[in-house]
Parts: sequence; C-alpha cells; structure tokens
Amino acid sequence: MANPRDTKRPESGDDGTSPTGDLAARIARAQAERPKAVAQPADVGGTVSGANRAFRLASEFVAAIIVGAGLGYVIDLVAGTKPWAMVILLLLGFAAGVLNVVRSAAAMNAASAVPPGTPAMPDDDDD
Amino acid sequence: MAEKPIEPIHQFQIHDYVPFGDIGGAHFAFTNSALLMVITVLVVSGILLIPTAAQRLVPTRGQLIAEQLFGFVRDMVESTAGHDAMKFFPLVFTLFTFILVSNWLGMLPYSFTVASHIIVTACLAVLVFLIVVIYGFARNGLKFFKLFVPSGIPWFIIWLVVPIEIISFLSRPVSHSLRLWGNMLAGHIVLKVFGGMVVGLASVGALGAVAAILPLGMAVALTGLEVLVGGLQAFVFAVLTCVYLHDAIHPGH
Repeated sequence: MANPRDTKRPESGDDGTSPTGDLAARIARAQAERPKAVAQPADVGGTVSGANRAFRLASEFVAAIIVGAGLGYVIDLVAGTKPWAMVILLLLGFAAGVLNVVRSAAAMNAASAVPPGTPAMPDDDDD
Repeated sequence: MAEKPIEPIHQFQIHDYVPFGDIGGAHFAFTNSALLMVITVLVVSGILLIPTAAQRLVPTRGQLIAEQLFGFVRDMVESTAGHDAMKFFPLVFTLFTFILVSNWLGMLPYSFTVASHIIVTACLAVLVFLIVVIYGFARNGLKFFKLFVPSGIPWFIIWLVVPIEIISFLSRPVSHSLRLWGNMLAGHIVLKVFGGMVVGLASVGALGAVAAILPLGMAVALTGLEVLVGGLQAFVFAVLTCVYLHDAIHPGH
C-alpha cells in the first residue's frame, strides 16, 4: 500500500505490468519476515484501562474464595465432616485468591513498560 | 411510562418466543436471548463471508475489515499462546467475534445483551476450561500435573502449595465468566438508572426538565463507555483464553 509505484488506481495495469503482479512474492517475503512466535502471557492487561485492571484483580480474588468455599461445602456434604473442610478450603481459597492477584498484577506490571528516565528506586530525598 | 416504576433490571428479563415445553422438568424455549445469539452469529457470518466470497488481491472495504479482524486475533493467539496454539485459532476467533458482536448488538435499543446472563458467560468459560484440561492431558499426559507443582519448592511447603494451586486453577472459569458478566450487567444497569433519572426528572416540571440535562449527559457518556467496555471485555476474554491455552500446551511455570 505504501508502495510508491501504486500511484494509479490498483488493478488498472494498462502498461502491461499489473501493480499487484508481485504481490504474492511480497506477501511471501512479509510472512518470512514475521517474527517467530514468542510466548508472552504477560501481555494481559497491558492495554486495558485502570478500572478494568481493578475489576480483573477483584474478580480473580473473589473467584478463588468462591471456589474454595464451594469445594469445601461439597466435601463436607459428601464426607460428613460438617464445618471442617469448608473452613480449611475457605482459608486455602483466600491464599489462592492472593496468589491469583499477585500473578495478575505481576503480569500487568511486566506488560506495562517502565517509562525511560524513571529512577530505579523511589527518590526519598524530600528536598 | 412515567406511572410505571423504573426498573433498571427489566431489560434482562427473558421472554419465550417459541416454547418447546418442559423436557425432564427443565423449561425449554426459544427466547429473546437465543434470538440475539442467532442474530449475532448471522451478523458475524455476514461480515466475514459476504465480502470475502470473491477474494481480491486488492481488498475491498468489507474484505479489509474481515482481514484486519483475522490478523488481529491471529497476532493475539500467536503472541500470547504461542505458535503451537494456532490450532485453537478458530476457537479464539469465534469467542472473540461472538462476544464482541453480541455486546455491541446489545447496545441497540430494544435489544438484549446476551452476556448479561451469567449462564451464557459461564458456558463459554467452562468450554474453555474443559478444552484446556482435556487437551492438556491429551498432549502432556501426567506431566500436566506440573501445573500444580511449581518447581523449586521445598518438600515441607509443597503439601500446602498444591491445594492452593489447584483452587487457583479451578477459580479460572469462575473469574473468567464473572468478569464479562459483571461488566456487561453493571454497565447496562448504570445506563438504565441514568436513563430513568432523565424520565423521572422530566416528568416533574419545567425545572425538572432543565435538571434532566445532567443525567442525560451522563447517559450519553456512559453509552460511549459501554461500547468501549463491550469491545474491551471481548478482547480480555479472548486473551485470557489464549493464556489458559498456553498453560495447557506448556504446563509448569
């Protein structure tokens, strides 16, 4: 598209050579130049708004607690160990929620690049 | 209109169009939700199939839209889930376009937002979850359990870490579905509340009609925000699908 030869309307190659004649070759070249896939799951949340990040972290935290409590409730029903499995799994659910939040936050931090010129440590000189 | 109490959640009611009767105690019907899903599939198919029916080397506008959409999702899958995950590209593409178009169709007046019912988003999230589990075991066998056992953990901690990791893994479909559902539900309720304020204030009198400009402005701004949120949530849902597929292909952190 940014080819300087394509000044006239495309597909109107009246001089014998269609401007898109070598398009197949160009596509093949561009595909060969495509960078090999690099797995970077840290991309999540890199381009999303602040409110969306907050909602994402909150939902990850709550989801783990719900799953922990629900799993404990089912185990209690099946095994007849009334409060204990729910108590333990609810606590583990809290831990899993914190784990989820820490992982998501780490992924978000990795995705959002540090602006250049930022000091590595916060400046605590109050001058 | 003004006599009726304004119900912000009235918009989420399900109406039967073609009831099929009760089968095994469950109620089956072709509802307004199902109608919107069918329309969504038709719109997506139309946008993608009609302009690309006659493929041209120099794309038409419609073909360009379809190609850009295709390329956008392909880059997302490739960069987030890795090249091995490209066999799941049709799944991610379908999820993304379905959620995107259904969210945006839900912004039309008298329409219905499919994703405002948690059963819909939960079905999509459970579908992704089951694919991750089944494909993860099929591809990696028992090595898939490495997902729950982070490397480099001392033995006396591991019995505590593994249950936490399992709960964390099981919580994925919950948060996956909660996020889309919560965003769509909350956004539409807020929109309706401000819309209701306009009607309520305008029915009071001349002064109320002037004051109604404020919530009207909010409703206009929120409509724009909701369009953004609808697109963003479709993107987030698709990206998280890719992240989970990445775990199915490469277990172990």
